[in-house]
Amino acid sequence: MLQTKELFHDFDGLKVLFGVGLEVKEGERHAIIGPNGAGKTTLFNVITGLYKPSSGRVLFKGQDITGFKPCKLARLGMSRSFQISGLFQGLTVFQNVRLAILSKRGIRYDLLRRVDRMHSITEETNEFLARINLDSERSVPANMLSYGKQRSLEISLALARDPDFVLLDEPTAGMSPDETRSAVDLVRRMTQGKTMVIVEHDMDVVFSLADRITVLDYGSIVASGTPEEIRTNRDVQDIYLGKRRS
Amino acid sequence: MKSRNRFLPLAIIVALAVLPHVMGPVKTNIFIQFAIGAVYAVSLNLLLSFTGLLSFGHALFFGTGAYATALALTHIQGLTIVPSVMLGALAAAAIALIVSPLLVRVTGTAFAMLTLAFGQLMFILCLKFREITGGEDGIAGYPVPNLSLPGVHSVDMADSFNFYYFAIAVSGLCIFVMWHITKTPLGSIMVAIRDNTQRVDFLGFRVPFVKAIVFVISGAFAGIAGSLFALSHSVVSTDGVFQILVSFFPLMAILVGGIGSFWGPVIGCGVLTLVQEFTLRYTERAELVSGLVFVLVILFMPYGAAGFWRMLGARRRYRSADGHSITVEK
Amino acid sequence: MSTEAAMYIALAVHGLTYGMLLFLVASGLTLIFGMMGILNIAHASFFMLAGYFCVTVLRWTESFWLSLLLAPIGCALVGCVVERFFLRRIQRHGLGHIGELLLTLGISLIVADAVKAIWGTGSNEVLGPVALRGLVAIGGWEYPAYRLFIIGVSLALLAIMATLLFKTRLGMILRAAVSDADMVSALGINMPRVFTVVFGLGTWMAGVAGVAATPLLTVFPGMADQIGLDAFVVVVVGGLGNLVGAFVASLIIGEIYSFGIQFIPRLAPVLMFVFMALVLSFKPSGLFGGRE
Repeated sequence: MLQTKELFHDFDGLKVLFGVGLEVKEGERHAIIGPNGAGKTTLFNVITGLYKPSSGRVLFKGQDITGFKPCKLARLGMSRSFQISGLFQGLTVFQNVRLAILSKRGIRYDLLRRVDRMHSITEETNEFLARINLDSERSVPANMLSYGKQRSLEISLALARDPDFVLLDEPTAGMSPDETRSAVDLVRRMTQGKTMVIVEHDMDVVFSLADRITVLDYGSIVASGTPEEIRTNRDVQDIYLGKRRS
Repeated sequence: MKSRNRFLPLAIIVALAVLPHVMGPVKTNIFIQFAIGAVYAVSLNLLLSFTGLLSFGHALFFGTGAYATALALTHIQGLTIVPSVMLGALAAAAIALIVSPLLVRVTGTAFAMLTLAFGQLMFILCLKFREITGGEDGIAGYPVPNLSLPGVHSVDMADSFNFYYFAIAVSGLCIFVMWHITKTPLGSIMVAIRDNTQRVDFLGFRVPFVKAIVFVISGAFAGIAGSLFALSHSVVSTDGVFQILVSFFPLMAILVGGIGSFWGPVIGCGVLTLVQEFTLRYTERAELVSGLVFVLVILFMPYGAAGFWRMLGARRRYRSADGHSITVEK
Repeated sequence: MSTEAAMYIALAVHGLTYGMLLFLVASGLTLIFGMMGILNIAHASFFMLAGYFCVTVLRWTESFWLSLLLAPIGCALVGCVVERFFLRRIQRHGLGHIGELLLTLGISLIVADAVKAIWGTGSNEVLGPVALRGLVAIGGWEYPAYRLFIIGVSLALLAIMATLLFKTRLGMILRAAVSDADMVSALGINMPRVFTVVFGLGTWMAGVAGVAATPLLTVFPGMADQIGLDAFVVVVVGGLGNLVGAFVASLIIGEIYSFGIQFIPRLAPVLMFVFMALVLSFKPSGLFGGRE
């Protein structure tokens, strides 16, 4: 589904990515891990259209999407979550989700109908809220939710558009163990049959969700394979153990 | 909805219908100016409270509408009142369309400054091109045309009663349409842009395009306000419709009435109109007093009247995710 | 050389004069913005206030030099009061930048009307110091001495400012604060006082420009309109918070203005505008602007 070829990226001379060639198969749950500063977030941002790579190409469903803007990528079936505040803070949970549903249905510039009279939209939003267990909080402004629920909403917003390809940026960052467990459960349920890429630090989450893992260090891919392969990979162990020693 | 609310719109309509007969012509005219100001302020509010864009140059659209109407009435014989207002709206919308490519790319302070610059630019241009705009003296002597349903009936708009009903009807319609727009999907996108522009982009909405639409809508309604202004005054000049105070007036109205609410600007406009009328009785320095009121409001009541109201009513309890009650206070 | 060349050079000097005045005003504005995040809409009001103070001082003392000394100080005092008692309050409200913009807006309105109330709506002519009323001969041509004086004073102030910023401890603090005010505050430096100082300094410079401009513009309620708008354009074009950018932009705009008024008088304001639009289309953060 997704392929990157020879991806290089630098910020004003600071080189971050070196010849990254990632491959994500359709229907796969793929995790990207690596120590801090390895370039995971940059890679993520290049794939999702926030940055145009200095060189290299990104292919999505066979199409060259290098340099495409996020809006266009979203319409092609790609969706991402944000690590820091991707929610609409002043809007209620219901309104947050409804916006994603409106986008999914292609309703954008409609000036004639009142959105609260669009019953099918309301139904669909309520249905979705029930699936993510937030329907009792539908009238709560997003900024009043507990942190864990905010993160769940964040992940859900990315999924509400029913994308083919979803990317999650450190979805469980800052969560308590309980919250992490429910989040993993949510992600597993909601990404059935979809292709997913997740950037994570929490190894438990990674190993319980991922079909394949790619390890990034200093901007290049060190290893890529099944969880077993990665667990037993010498280089990977060196990276993590080595870092922990210092 | 409480049953009380169902009677409110009816009561308002009755009050409006009866008003000119109860208050004299002077006060009725003040009310008309209030209505015009309210439409103008609400149009700016679409940008400010709903899309999160602070514009310092809204007079650009107001003045364009005023001049377009005045010029049209001066040069086109037999133009009736509704088309003359429509021309004002179209001219303002056209200007909005022209400036939008640049405006959609900037936000925050740069946006505010850019709009300020555009507003001033128009002011200076109108001042310089005297042959068309009459420069400092402006345009005067244009007629207030009739309202005519073609072939059926013609209503004389020079009659102050008729004009009052026309102006109020148009104002009311404008405000209603703008209210409706905030309730449409576009309205949802606008508010989302205010909260988190980047996320809106990632959700698949073309943000620059949406912003451009909002500019055109906001500009068009400001243009209608300008047209009504031209019709209710006998002269349109740069100082009257393009100068910087004209851009600041709706901002003050929004602030006094409360940023973030739809009806805030209407309330604020009412308050400001009353303040101005009151001070004009005692001193000529109305601008000074308005400025003082403005500063005082910002310092002590930054959320305006609506914020105050919200604070009173916001002792509602929100249940947090854990089931505890929290009392929300602003 | 021909009179044409002389005219071009005169126009260039004229543009340089205005550009320098503009820089004096804009530098304060951009510094205040860079450090405090406040775009002071009332900045040009201080320019005008200084002009009026100058008129008053002249009435008492007949000395232009004294007013050049005192009026800007008066401005700086007003500036400090505004910062200390009004702007600082606003920051507590959480309205963010909109609150500050609106407050400075309100103040500019108040000042604009207050000067009319105190000094009347008429225009006040100010004659420059006797010593500078003539022409100066340089290299075979003659230039108005006063304009050269303005350029000289501006450059001197620029040099002083540069020394202050780069060679003193205060300057180091200021430069650090432009990058990260919170961090500087965490280092134990009394930021609120620094802010007041910066605000006072910025308004002082606008005041110097205001007094210097009085023989050229005359003192009247609209005297700050043009330069106020231009200063904003300079700040936006040069990059918000960037002094070098403000300098370059001021000079460019000064020259555009000077040549524009000479050759296409009616469209001169549009030119500046087109310039700004062009710069912003290619680099929305301004010529020298970084991320905000």
